[in-house]
Amino acid sequence: MSEDFNWLEEARHDEPQTPVAESGRRRLFSRLPRISLRPRRPGLPALPPLPRLFRRQRDEAPSSASQLISEREERPLEELDERLRDLRQRSLQGSEPPADQPLYNVDEVLVSPEALNPGGGLIGAVALSKAQEEQVELLRDIVDGATPGPSPGGASPGRGSPVALTTATRLVAAVFVLLLASLPFVSSDFDFFPLPPADFEARRGDARSLYNALDNLRPDDRLLLALEYGATAAGELDPLADLALRHIFAQGAQPLIVSSNPIAIARAENIIREINRSVMRANLVVEAGAHYHILRYLPGGALGLRELSENFAAVARYSSSGAETGLDIASLADLQYIVLLAESAETIRFWAEQVVPESAETPLLAITSYAAEPLAQAYAESLPQIAGLLHGYRDAFSYGEMLKSAYGMAPPIPLTPTLEPAPNTTATPLPASSTPDPTATPAPITPTLDWTPTLIHITVQPTATATPDLQRLSTAPPGERATPSREDLDDPANQPGEQAVAVATVMAQPTSAPAATIAASDTPGPTATVASIRVVEVISPQQVRIRRGPTTADDILRLAQAGDRFEVVGANGDGSWHQIALEPGLNGWIAQFLVEELVMTEAEFRSGSASLPAERAVLLREYDWSLGKTGPRYYQAQPPSPADLHEFAQLRDRHQEGPRLQAMSLGALAAALVIVLGNLVHGVGALLRRRGASAR
Amino acid sequence: MRRMPSLGSAISSLVAFAVGMTTLLSLLLGDNPELFGEQPGREILAERIAAPGDVMLRLATLMVALSIVLGVANLLHVHVLRLRRHSLTSAVLLASFAFTLYWHVAQGDATLLEAVLVPIESALAALLCLSLVHGASRVLQKRADIWGALFVLVVIIVLLGSLGLAELAPVQTMRDWLMAVPVSAGARAILLGIALGVIVAGLRALLGQDRAYRG
Repeated sequence: MSEDFNWLEEARHDEPQTPVAESGRRRLFSRLPRISLRPRRPGLPALPPLPRLFRRQRDEAPSSASQLISEREERPLEELDERLRDLRQRSLQGSEPPADQPLYNVDEVLVSPEALNPGGGLIGAVALSKAQEEQVELLRDIVDGATPGPSPGGASPGRGSPVALTTATRLVAAVFVLLLASLPFVSSDFDFFPLPPADFEARRGDARSLYNALDNLRPDDRLLLALEYGATAAGELDPLADLALRHIFAQGAQPLIVSSNPIAIARAENIIREINRSVMRANLVVEAGAHYHILRYLPGGALGLRELSENFAAVARYSSSGAETGLDIASLADLQYIVLLAESAETIRFWAEQVVPESAETPLLAITSYAAEPLAQAYAESLPQIAGLLHGYRDAFSYGEMLKSAYGMAPPIPLTPTLEPAPNTTATPLPASSTPDPTATPAPITPTLDWTPTLIHITVQPTATATPDLQRLSTAPPGERATPSREDLDDPANQPGEQAVAVATVMAQPTSAPAATIAASDTPGPTATVASIRVVEVISPQQVRIRRGPTTADDILRLAQAGDRFEVVGANGDGSWHQIALEPGLNGWIAQFLVEELVMTEAEFRSGSASLPAERAVLLREYDWSLGKTGPRYYQAQPPSPADLHEFAQLRDRHQEGPRLQAMSLGALAAALVIVLGNLVHGVGALLRRRGASAR
Repeated sequence: MRRMPSLGSAISSLVAFAVGMTTLLSLLLGDNPELFGEQPGREILAERIAAPGDVMLRLATLMVALSIVLGVANLLHVHVLRLRRHSLTSAVLLASFAFTLYWHVAQGDATLLEAVLVPIESALAALLCLSLVHGASRVLQKRADIWGALFVLVVIIVLLGSLGLAELAPVQTMRDWLMAVPVSAGARAILLGIALGVIVAGLRALLGQDRAYRG
């Protein structure tokens, strides 16, 4: 023990011995002066005088602990920078809370509002340095015009004064911009601007990668969906969150929703509630716990994200409501993707710094606001884990149109408001026979709907021939639902043959009408066969090169993104390179380890994605960007009732994506006009004044 | 002459340094068995190194979460005090708090979030947008020089380039270049600056130069 701390030993000897109940450390510490970590402030009571023990120590050892205690002071003011000195000065102006208040001492952590805001009002003033104040003054001068000074007699600034002129021009500019921006909501005659493309532009490989990644999710895949935005960005990012969630649900994957923003957790619940509303007539319900989880709130910004990456199992243990999720996930590496919807550049930075390095095996798909795009782009170009990037409202439109194009062109589901639950929903085991008869006509297949609070299930009840492979899809025990999975449909054993065609047809042309019948004539004839083709899908998160020959020395023909699919037309000797068809008459070579080999029908390949089970495709089909989330196709089965029309009108009013995009463009044009005209007038005026001043 | 640090300051600095370094080393070296080559029991060793960092991290997040509760309590306390001075804004705040709490407990949904918070924050963002537009229209009045003109020019290019009109294809190209090169360069510069600033701030906190913990 150093000499400075010998006073503790001496204290034991100096003090008189007392009974056990009163002696010892308790008595010793009762005589120690209270050490306060609070800065000394004017008006505070001084520390109590030092006991004899410490006074002696102070005199004998100049650097003793007692001296340190007695001379304890804050860092000298001159060492503080100007801003801290200002802040300190402001905090000194605040009144001390009375000692009998329950939150006494809290002001050490939370500066009292009186200190921050001596002038009153809900929003506290901010301490600024002189340089900052000058810049604020310049900004205020530019934005507000001349600041009204105290006029003599307290009279308001008169007409023609600089302040009144500035107020008038500001009002005119605001009215002009607002007027132009609201015109598209009044009439479609003002739709001057082209809508964003219905597909991502060729140069937007990162956007296409994101789409492909979500489109190639498999049932039961799990991914992390981080909703990192608040109410301010809701108008911009809600559509993207909505589309991403529908896309994920439609693939049968399970998103684990997480956020370090409590507002976003509430918003996630609202978005999913709205998704359920839009498809409720399809008897479809997306349920928490079964189809998604909203995990607990992550406090502390970057700190919370660090905990997420380090202890994901602990984070995934509880939902936002405090219930146990029952998820058995050890780390982020067990997830297929991380999808990040970020409002600000700072959020993207936090995720890139705290989460991405700890989850190198899990690609991150970033969806950002338009304002955060430059920083997101910088990260996307630097971090190979970022496998896709979307940003802004225009990308949301393209994304929605792509989904509609891929999944929305199927025949409409003839839903009726009078849908009744099917009485019997058990699957009937298939006959154990039979060899396919190529000349036989497929028998009618009767799909029935199962009225359950979970995903809709279609029970296939064939009455004629069936192959043993198809039997596997429908031989669930009585009382259980037989749900063909996407793997079943992709299974090459199920592809060829007329029965497979019949099942695929049921998937593509679902009906929710009880006991509806799809006639056999709706399927291809008995001689029709569906040829399977070999396809490779790029799985590398980074761009891969397609070359003219099967060596890395060959020329690069083009680049491909994760999720891109190509038909295989050959291979080299050892199978390390696939020869793929790029376009008619042009083949290229791609390394085998960069791709995954798939087998699918040519129709699936040409459509750009494998077919979805119909019960989940309804999530995407019922989304109509131009008309709201439920379009007129919804009512093709029978005329809508007045109640239906009212609901449809409400939805349309809330989701006018087309007019909103036109309004954004018109608003931007109006803003540009205001800026050009204003600067012309003001710039010329300033030049004239300067010239006049120099002439004088 | 610089004064000797007080005991409280020295102790708190020491604690901060020890905790900071332990957490830092734990996060850096923990869960990396490959750092220990072929040494037997390296997985256990790596886990043990990671443990203190995990504990500190959980403690810190717990404290942050509690500080939110403390913040709400402080806010209510302050506004209850201000209510005694007949502050109307404090009354509105307290009434809003009570109503929101009641609504959430009674209804269990986020209707108020959709109906109140989102429109208000969107309106504030729109007001900011209008103010910026008006401010940009007066830049040359206050700063009639090359930099002011350059600023106005860039704003116009970005706004017109986002319209998607075929007639403005050259402007779109210029906008794309602006976003890809100068803006991206600026974003990277900001990232570099933040990284350097974080390193410096972390070192100052670890070494006791910045005592945000009031030591």
